Amino acid sequence: MKKRQVISTVLTAAMVASMGLTASAATDVAATDLAYTGELEIMHYSTSEESEGNGGSDGFRTVLAAWQEAHPDITLNENVLANAEYKTQIATLAAAGDLPDVFLLQGMNTKAWAEQGLIMDLTDTIAASPYYADYDQAYFTPFKSGDSVYGYPVLTGGTCTVVIYDKAMWAEAGFDAFPTTWEDVEKAAEYFSEQGIDTVAFGNGGQWQANSDFLSTLGNRYTGPEWFQSLCDKSGAAFTDEKFVAALAETQRLFAETNIFNEDFNAVTNEDAREYYISGDAAAFIGGNWDESYIWATLKEADEEKFNNIGFAPLPQPADATEAPTSQNIGLGYAVAFNANLADDPDKLAAAIDLAQELTGPAFASYVAENYALGGLTKVADVDLSSFDQITQDFYNYSYVDTEKCEIYDSYINGAVWGVLNTDLQSLMNGEMTPEEVAANAQAAYEENY
Amino acid sequence: MLNAIKPTKKTVFLYLMIPVAMFVFTVFVPLVTALVYSFFEWKGGPVKTFNGLDNYIQLFHDGTFWEAFGHNIYLVIACIIGQIGIAFILVLMINSKLVKFKTIHRTFGFFPSTIAAVCIGLIWNMIYHNKYGILNWFLTAIGRKDLCQVWLNNPKIVMLLVTIPLIWQYIGYYMVIILSAISGISTDIFESASIDGANGVQQALYITLPLIKNTMLVCITLCIAGNMKAFDNIYVMTKGGPGTSSMVMAMYGYQVSFQQSNMGYGSCISVAIFVLSLLVIGGSQALINFLTREKEAK
Repeated sequence: MKKRQVISTVLTAAMVASMGLTASAATDVAATDLAYTGELEIMHYSTSEESEGNGGSDGFRTVLAAWQEAHPDITLNENVLANAEYKTQIATLAAAGDLPDVFLLQGMNTKAWAEQGLIMDLTDTIAASPYYADYDQAYFTPFKSGDSVYGYPVLTGGTCTVVIYDKAMWAEAGFDAFPTTWEDVEKAAEYFSEQGIDTVAFGNGGQWQANSDFLSTLGNRYTGPEWFQSLCDKSGAAFTDEKFVAALAETQRLFAETNIFNEDFNAVTNEDAREYYISGDAAAFIGGNWDESYIWATLKEADEEKFNNIGFAPLPQPADATEAPTSQNIGLGYAVAFNANLADDPDKLAAAIDLAQELTGPAFASYVAENYALGGLTKVADVDLSSFDQITQDFYNYSYVDTEKCEIYDSYINGAVWGVLNTDLQSLMNGEMTPEEVAANAQAAYEENY
Repeated sequence: MLNAIKPTKKTVFLYLMIPVAMFVFTVFVPLVTALVYSFFEWKGGPVKTFNGLDNYIQLFHDGTFWEAFGHNIYLVIACIIGQIGIAFILVLMINSKLVKFKTIHRTFGFFPSTIAAVCIGLIWNMIYHNKYGILNWFLTAIGRKDLCQVWLNNPKIVMLLVTIPLIWQYIGYYMVIILSAISGISTDIFESASIDGANGVQQALYITLPLIKNTMLVCITLCIAGNMKAFDNIYVMTKGGPGTSSMVMAMYGYQVSFQQSNMGYGSCISVAIFVLSLLVIGGSQALINFLTREKEAK
């Protein structure tokens, strides 16, 4: 009897839980009546592996499934690839003029693809969205060309630069919190070097990390946002400007001339470097939100004490920098965009618009806020953080409340420019190129390709 | 009877058409289209602008491309010496009467060439790893901690370091080819040479090598062709870095085409890889023929 009671309790609990899941998934999607019946292609990179622990991907997949369920007459043809393969494949499809109906557009491709007429101008469509009033307008910037908007910014707004540090280790070194200046970090490095520990772990083996996770924020500290806006608008700013060269010089000084970072920073990736932090071989780590979610999950499982000692801080301020000392680069790197040819079939277009609105609307935003304490394009009022652990709350506050936002460099301009800069950054950080040479090469690539 | 089962010319032709069509579609058509696209400015998308020889002029002045070409030549020379040279020596050793379990040596020698290049890259990344790698561990163990370093971040030796896995991987591959060639040489020749007093080195240089010259030429051609398009394990290990210190032509072409979305110039690089590879292969064959002809004349 007792056994039967236990089983029935478990079954009831499972049923209630599944009802709850269904409710948060299916009922939140607006069940708009759509005239279109048939196939709708969508290509994205939220794979099932990616969605485990990654709130944005999980939310995307959940809302996509809910939308499909709400519109059984439409067959979603999904092409899901891992991010690296996705970028190559979508570039190939764009080159062939054969983009899928709905796909994720990377910010830096917007201008070029818009100029070639590959993607649909969604300015009026987005303005007519029922959720328009709740959209965070700042997220649209990378997806604009002139006054036109080409996509619904999607997934979650995550920081690309955060210092994750072990509060206990830094307290032993004599710091109550992570230093706000690089001078203090250098002082701490003397202590940590004696202990045989790296002060800050960083991995630039993939060549993009120094740009996305470091220079993009450090550069803003020297140049301010207007310089980068001018660079994007082609209205006068240049990579060779003194302020940007100063940021490059400081990057070189920190990596090549101090012992703050692990000496293999150019040979290991961010995935390797964050392991140095997790294993206690480094007292801090610099990376993006994707690293934070990995560290969070790993330490929560493996080391509760170290988990509770996780602290977050913005990049320290260089002595000669004058701008926004708490800035961090945050944004949405991708947007839901449409093949321009979709305009030929108004019913199909209406279905695609409805899908894009839901993928970026309140259904998605509520899901990621409630389950992961993350934010997307659509603002959610009064996010209740009380159910989350302290570390998640701290990271939410770091990302959205306590810091100043700045732009992610490689969400803008184009890959040709960043390819040249990223390659040279490795040499710069090794002390094999001067900041002036790096700036000159980047400027030449900018003038030639943008 | 023979005529009854012999297929007609038409049937043979039709059967052969299938692989020929596949070859034309997967090799010839892309090559020709790449050649066509190399005369266009094509930054992705349907818009292509004919720009004549501009891409080729740019290629001629592109320092990164020629640096990458230099790295490919380095790879070719190192791998001809390392892969084919070591394979030849190992074959001679395996063929020696003193060596037991010849099949096991052959199988294990061939084994690395069956592993995916990406896995080889990851394995050697671990060997070279600064903190956890076996190389630095070994140096520390023998009291030479001063020699420990971040191996893959040293631009002076990074090309050598990414070449070693390639050599290691393909020794067994060439071993099998050379072994089959040597097994075709009559043992009488070696026996009479031994009776005449020729030692092992003399037998190898004056009997074995001249008799397997054509096989060695095939090996060298395969080695050059393989290394002129080297990509995967270097991509996994260094992404061409630090900076462009281990950049090779195929990786540069990939970066330009897909990361920088410059398909026109990327096609131009592909054509250049094809032409340069043909030149290097042709040049090396002419050189070998010239050298061996001189010897025969003497």
